[in-house]
Amino acid sequence: MLDYILRRLLFLVPVFFAVSFIIFMIIHLVPGDPIDHILQVGSTAEQRAAFTARYGLDKPLLAQYGIWLTKLAAGDLGEAIILRQPVTDLILQNLPHSLTLGSLALVFSTFVGIAAGAIAALNRNGWTDRSVMTVILFGSTVPSFWLGLLLILLFAVQLEWLPVSGARSAASLVLPVLTVGLGGVALIARVTRAAMLDIARRDFILMLHAKGLSPWRIHLRHVLRHAMLPVVTILGLRIGWILGGAVTIEYVFARPGLGSLLITSLGQRDYPVVQGCLLMLAIAVMLGTLLGDIVQAAMDPRIREGAR
Amino acid sequence: MRHQIKAALLSATMLVALPAAVRAQDAIFAVTAREVGAPSYNPITATKLNSANSLIFDRLLLQDADQSFHGLLATSWESSPDGMQWTFKLKPGVKFHNGEPFNARVIEWWVPKFAGTENAYTVEAIQRVEVIDDLTVRFHMKQPDPNLLFNLASSFMGIPAPKAYDALGDKFGVAEAIGTGPFKMEKFTVGQQTVLVRNDDYKWGSDLSQNKGPAKIKRLTVREIAEDSTAFLELKTGGIDMVYTVPTDFLPRLQAEKNIKVMTIPGTEIVYMPINTSVAPFTDIKVREAVALAVNQKEILNTLYGGAGAEAHGFLISSLEEAKVDPKYQIGYNPDRARALLDEAGWKVGPNGIRAKDGAPLQVKLWTQNGTEFKRVTEVVQAQLKAIGVQADITVFDASTINAQYKKRTEHQLAVRGYSWTNADILDWFFSAKRLGYPNVSMLDDPQAEALNDIAMNKSKTWDERVKNFRAYHEYILSRFAFAPIYEPANSFAFNTKKLTFPTAIRGTRLTSQSIIDVAVNN
Repeated sequence: MLDYILRRLLFLVPVFFAVSFIIFMIIHLVPGDPIDHILQVGSTAEQRAAFTARYGLDKPLLAQYGIWLTKLAAGDLGEAIILRQPVTDLILQNLPHSLTLGSLALVFSTFVGIAAGAIAALNRNGWTDRSVMTVILFGSTVPSFWLGLLLILLFAVQLEWLPVSGARSAASLVLPVLTVGLGGVALIARVTRAAMLDIARRDFILMLHAKGLSPWRIHLRHVLRHAMLPVVTILGLRIGWILGGAVTIEYVFARPGLGSLLITSLGQRDYPVVQGCLLMLAIAVMLGTLLGDIVQAAMDPRIREGAR
Repeated sequence: MRHQIKAALLSATMLVALPAAVRAQDAIFAVTAREVGAPSYNPITATKLNSANSLIFDRLLLQDADQSFHGLLATSWESSPDGMQWTFKLKPGVKFHNGEPFNARVIEWWVPKFAGTENAYTVEAIQRVEVIDDLTVRFHMKQPDPNLLFNLASSFMGIPAPKAYDALGDKFGVAEAIGTGPFKMEKFTVGQQTVLVRNDDYKWGSDLSQNKGPAKIKRLTVREIAEDSTAFLELKTGGIDMVYTVPTDFLPRLQAEKNIKVMTIPGTEIVYMPINTSVAPFTDIKVREAVALAVNQKEILNTLYGGAGAEAHGFLISSLEEAKVDPKYQIGYNPDRARALLDEAGWKVGPNGIRAKDGAPLQVKLWTQNGTEFKRVTEVVQAQLKAIGVQADITVFDASTINAQYKKRTEHQLAVRGYSWTNADILDWFFSAKRLGYPNVSMLDDPQAEALNDIAMNKSKTWDERVKNFRAYHEYILSRFAFAPIYEPANSFAFNTKKLTFPTAIRGTRLTSQSIIDVAVNN
């Protein structure tokens, strides 16, 4: 098992370098310039040149990438051009907010998704199955930005149960968690349903029926348990999205977090911050995928054997 | 176990209910998209400040909406006849939030601090600062700068406490921000909110305020809400008490709310359509004049903005003296003349209503930036251009990308854009040949314009002379049809009338400390 984990970790090294290169190049190749956001009315071409040099933006792109990578190796993500703070500090200030929102949303979508998928599978092709899957399909196709505003209108404006936005109380977390979480329910429910239906057709399940075990016991203790393998894989990927899934939602709900920081900085082309945030999101996806693989391997020895 | 559950539920309820209870004695304001993300409250080095800055830091002077200057930390000021010396008398009894005294020595320390910063231009004409006595200071100038008073009244000229500033270094404005303003900064979370508490010692408000101090609000939270819809819903549900800037889109909805009042102060913005004078067909001044005269300012004001704001017929906001040009230079809707000019230029109407010359249709690029308001104005302008036989194809960019595209110089033809500024030197920024592409999106490179620019920017000795010179420069730019003026938005803010009472007249060029110290919380 340890051997498997080490091999998976080694595989992440080239992936990390490729991702860091893509992130760096993409943001620099997008038209725009942070210096436009610094210069005041009346600034001269000389001042522009001075600021461009001050932030190292006058160097060739590959040289800039090399400098960034060297600093990165020392744990330094650089200094924000517009926000004038170390990027690491900015990320550390915002990360806990994103982690809280993303984790709660993942827990919500996991429980609701598995429950909905199981209910649908147990009532295969019945009206309950169709109703559950229709509602879930709606949830997965509605843009989260719009869903967020709908939930605000219902729960904050009409019912006045919850605050519209902000991060001033625990209650202000409810609507963002619901918005992010509902987006993930659909996927988990569909995977759970499909896996349960697949397992239910297996010989060992037929044998359990033949032995006279109650259908509920068979489905909950045997079918659902075995159906968890693909669900865990999906969850691994979703763990990666704990940070990335809430980017626009933080903006809608005026919450602090990596998403709000990323959107604001992207608009201002604050390169070091955008690079830092994207790198964090990429690392989260990589580690999430790794975790999913490890759990999957732990649950199914064939996977780690097959990887040899 | 039951007690534990009860206690947990009680704690959770209190956590939810706490903000509502606290708010009975406080106020919550919100700044929206344009002000979100100001990184610090360091007026010397910041390139972006939000509205809370004026509540923490006082300036020497304030400017009213009619562009007149009023003393805040200065009681009087005068310039020598040659403009080479400015003498300021300072207000006695002023002290910073940390107890440091405010006096002439502070000014002597403060001015040199701008050297090497992005805001150095504000004081670059000052050679040195001489302390005459404890409350009198004299600026010795490198050259006359009739714009000095305007610069000193800018929001970047808030004066920080010297000892705290030097001690905190880069942390000043983030960890602590100490000025002489009516509110003290208690906590600042970048991109989220600033919590301010009243400065109970404040008693030096300007003559633009009815209340000289202290402020009537005891504790003020300034939230940053980037999404306009969210800010609107927060105001509607009582989550916030005032929103600084209301997008025009939301005005009708806010005006329909029973407990919300929208107040409007003269705007500081102009929406206009730069015309790239360096690319065909706009190298022909007749075509430029035609498209400029095709823009129906009145229709845009009434149909898109419900009459809120004003038609723009020049490049400067109407409260500036330099905006008062000879009426013959003003650019206004005249479709008949526009059609005649295009006929004269050889562009004849084709069977599909679009003009053509030598077999080529009069088809141009019309750029705009994302944002509902920009897109709506651009679509109306597109229709208005079509009415005179010009086909304009719209492309939408984000704000940073569009500037990069302008810098290519020859890619763009027409664009709809806006600016916010309260000084005629904006003409230099957008039309000087030193800045072709961006900000000089019109690509105006004209020797006479440059000569008039130089006179206005560098040869004016007094304020009146500067006004005269900038007016001449403004008139010349108008005569070259390098842009089409469109709209002068009003600056609207909205507040909850159940919670707050605002003064009937809002003074100043923006809603800043001089009005906020007059705002009362209703009990």
